[in-house]
Amino acid sequence: MRLSRRTLLAAGLTAPLAACSTPQRRGAGGPVEITFWSALRGSQQVVDAFNSSQNRIRVIFQQIPSGGQGGYAKLSNAARAGNAPDVATIEYPQVPGFAIDGVARDITDLVTDRVKQKLLPQALKLTTFDNRVFSVPLDIEPMVLHYRVDLFEANGFKIPETWDEFADLARTVRDRYPDKKLTLFPTDGAMQFACFAWQAGAKWFDTSNGKWHVSLADEPTQKVAAYWQKLIDDDVVFRNASDSKQHDAQVGQDRVLTRLSGAWDAGAQMRARPAQKGKWRIAPMPIWDRPVVGTHGGSTFAITKDSGEPEAAMEFIEWQTTHPDALTARLKSGTSSQYPVAPGLVEAGGKAFPGEYYGGQDIYKLFKQEADKIRDGWVWGPRMTATQKVMQDGFARAGAGEGTLIDAVREAQSGTMPDLKALGLSTEEGAR
Amino acid sequence: MKGKLACAILMAPFFLLLVTVFLIPTGTAIWLSFFAADQPGLGFGPERTVFVGLRSYVAVLSDPTFLNGLGTVVLYCLIYIPLMVLGALVLALLLDSGVAKLRSWAQMSLYLPHAVPGIIAALIWLYLYTPGLSPIIDLFAKADIQINFLGIHTVLPSIVNIALWSNLGYNMVIFYAALQAVPREVLEASVVDGAGPVKQAVRIKTPLVRGAIVTVGIFTLIWALQLFTEPVLLSQSTPMISARFSPSMYIYDAAFTRNNYGLAAAASVILLAFTIALSYGVTRWTNRKAA
Repeated sequence: MRLSRRTLLAAGLTAPLAACSTPQRRGAGGPVEITFWSALRGSQQVVDAFNSSQNRIRVIFQQIPSGGQGGYAKLSNAARAGNAPDVATIEYPQVPGFAIDGVARDITDLVTDRVKQKLLPQALKLTTFDNRVFSVPLDIEPMVLHYRVDLFEANGFKIPETWDEFADLARTVRDRYPDKKLTLFPTDGAMQFACFAWQAGAKWFDTSNGKWHVSLADEPTQKVAAYWQKLIDDDVVFRNASDSKQHDAQVGQDRVLTRLSGAWDAGAQMRARPAQKGKWRIAPMPIWDRPVVGTHGGSTFAITKDSGEPEAAMEFIEWQTTHPDALTARLKSGTSSQYPVAPGLVEAGGKAFPGEYYGGQDIYKLFKQEADKIRDGWVWGPRMTATQKVMQDGFARAGAGEGTLIDAVREAQSGTMPDLKALGLSTEEGAR
Repeated sequence: MKGKLACAILMAPFFLLLVTVFLIPTGTAIWLSFFAADQPGLGFGPERTVFVGLRSYVAVLSDPTFLNGLGTVVLYCLIYIPLMVLGALVLALLLDSGVAKLRSWAQMSLYLPHAVPGIIAALIWLYLYTPGLSPIIDLFAKADIQINFLGIHTVLPSIVNIALWSNLGYNMVIFYAALQAVPREVLEASVVDGAGPVKQAVRIKTPLVRGAIVTVGIFTLIWALQLFTEPVLLSQSTPMISARFSPSMYIYDAAFTRNNYGLAAAASVILLAFTIALSYGVTRWTNRKAA
C-alpha cells in the first residue's frame, strides 16, 4: 500500500491527539468507552463478543500479568496515580485487601436484585464485607481430583473418596513405583492448603464481631497440617513448587498420578500438555467425613474508584458474568474450563467445553455437583498476598526438611498481624 | 568575600544533593511513619489520614519477619566483613611486598569485577548458581559431587561470595594506596632490626594502615546492612530467599506488595537508626582503642 504524504501527516497529527484524549469520556454521540484489565485467558474473545453485541459501550481491553507476576502491583500503582481501569479482575483472596485500600469501590447499589438472583449466593458472600458488595464473582472453583485414568486402571486403583483412602493409596503408589508419587504437596501452594483447611472447617478470618479475628492455626488447620506433614515425612508425596520446571517434568513424565486443584485447572492442563489427551479424568476431592469442599482459584470483577462510568462498567460486568455468549466465547478459546458463578450458564459451559481431552467425561456436571458442596462461612483476610507468601516461605523450608507445615502456618499468622495493626484495623488473635 | 562566594558556589552542588536525595526523603519517611490513612473497625469505611504516633514502629518491631531479616543481615555482616577486610588486606600486603609477579595485571584483574554493576554481577552469579544452567554445578556433578548453591544453608554464603567478588578489588586498592604511604625508613629500620617479610607485614605495615582498615570496615558495614540487589535477584531461583529476607527487602515488600506505606516508612527509619547507631558504635570503639 502506498501512503500519500497527506495521510502520513494526518496520522502523525492525530496519533498524539488520540493519546492525549482521555478515554472513559462519552464521545460526541459515540459509545461510552470503558477500560478493562484482566490476566484471564480468553478475555479478548469475551470483550470482542461484548463489543459486537451492542453499540452503546465500547470496552478497551488490556491483558495484564497475573496478580503474583505483577498484575496486582500494577493495579495498586495505577490506583495510587489515579488512573486505574474502570473494571479490574481480582481473585477472591485479594478482594478484601483492594476493598480496604479503596481501589475496589462499594458497588452495593449497582448490583441489582436481577444480577444477584443469577449468581450463586456462596460466591457473592465471598465478595461481600460489612454488608457491602465490592466485586462481582465470575467463576467459583471447587477443588477436584484430577487423576490419571490410564495408570489407575492399569493398577486397579480405586478412586480415593476419603483422605484416609488417599493416604493409603499414596503408600501403595510409593511401594509399587520407585519414581512415581500419588500427588504433590505444593510448597508454593498456600492457596491449595487454604482450600484443604476450608474443607476441614477452618476459619482463618472472621469478621462477625466487627473485628478481624485471625486464627490461621485453628483446630481443623492443625488436622490438615498434620495429615500432609505425615505424607511428607513418609516420603509418599512430592514436595516442591507446583509452578516450576520440576513439577512440569513430574506431570509430563507420568510421574504424578493425581493433581488437587480447582475446576479451572482442567483447561490449564489441556493447554499445557496436549500430548496427555485422554489420560486424565476428574473426580470429587477426597473428604474427611462431611461431603463438603473448599475452593481453589476463581476471579471477580471490581469497579475501581477511578471509574467515571460505573453504570456502563456494571453493565459489562453483568454481561460477562451472566450471559451465555460470554462463557461460550471464553471456552471456545480452548484455554479455559472455568466454572461459572451463574448456574444458568452451566449448560452452556458443558456444551462449549471441548470434551475429548477428558475422554468425553461431562466435567461440568461434576463441577456443578461439587460447587453445591462448597462449605459455607469462609472469609479471606485483608492482606492475603503477603500472608500467602510468608506461609509459602515456611512450606519451602518444611519441604527442605527444616520446620513443619504447622510452623509455617503460625509464622504466616505472626507475620500478618503487624501488617493489619499498622493498617489501623481492629484485630484479635484466635487460637494458635 | 570573594573567597566565601567561591566556597559557597563550590559547595552548593553538595548541599543541593544532600537536601534533595537525603534530607527530604528522610524527612518524608519520618513523616509517613507517624501518619496513616485509617478506617475504623474492619477497614471498609472511608479513609482519613490520622496521626498514629508510634503504632507503625510497634508493628515493625513486633514483626518476627522483620526481626528475622535483621538477624539475617547481622549474620551476613559477621561472615562478610571479616572476610572482606582480611582478604583485601592480605592481597594488598602481597602486592606491596612484591611477592606477586605482574603487579599491575593482578591489580587490574582484581579490580575489574568492581566495575561490573551490582545487578549484572548478581545476574552472572545467578546463572552460575542455578542448577541446570550452571557449568560449575555440571562440573561438580561429573565428579559425583552434588552441590546446591541456593539451598537452605548455602544461600547466605552464596550471597557473601557475590559481594566479595564485587568489592574485594576496590578495597584492596584502598589498602594498597595506604601501604604506599608507609614511610620507607620505618620499613628499612624494621629490616635492620631483623623482621622478615611476614613479621613486617603483620607488626609494622598493618598497624600503620589502621585508619584505612577502619574506614573500609565502616563503609562495608553500611553497605552490607542495606543488602538488597543480590538476594532479590537470587530469590527468582530459590524459595529459600523470602520476600522479607533482609530489612531492605522487607521495606520494599511492605510498600509494594502490602501497600502499607506507614509500615515501610517506619521500617526504613528503624534501619537508618540501626545503621547510624552501629557505625557510631564501631567508630567510638576503634577510637577508644587508639587512644
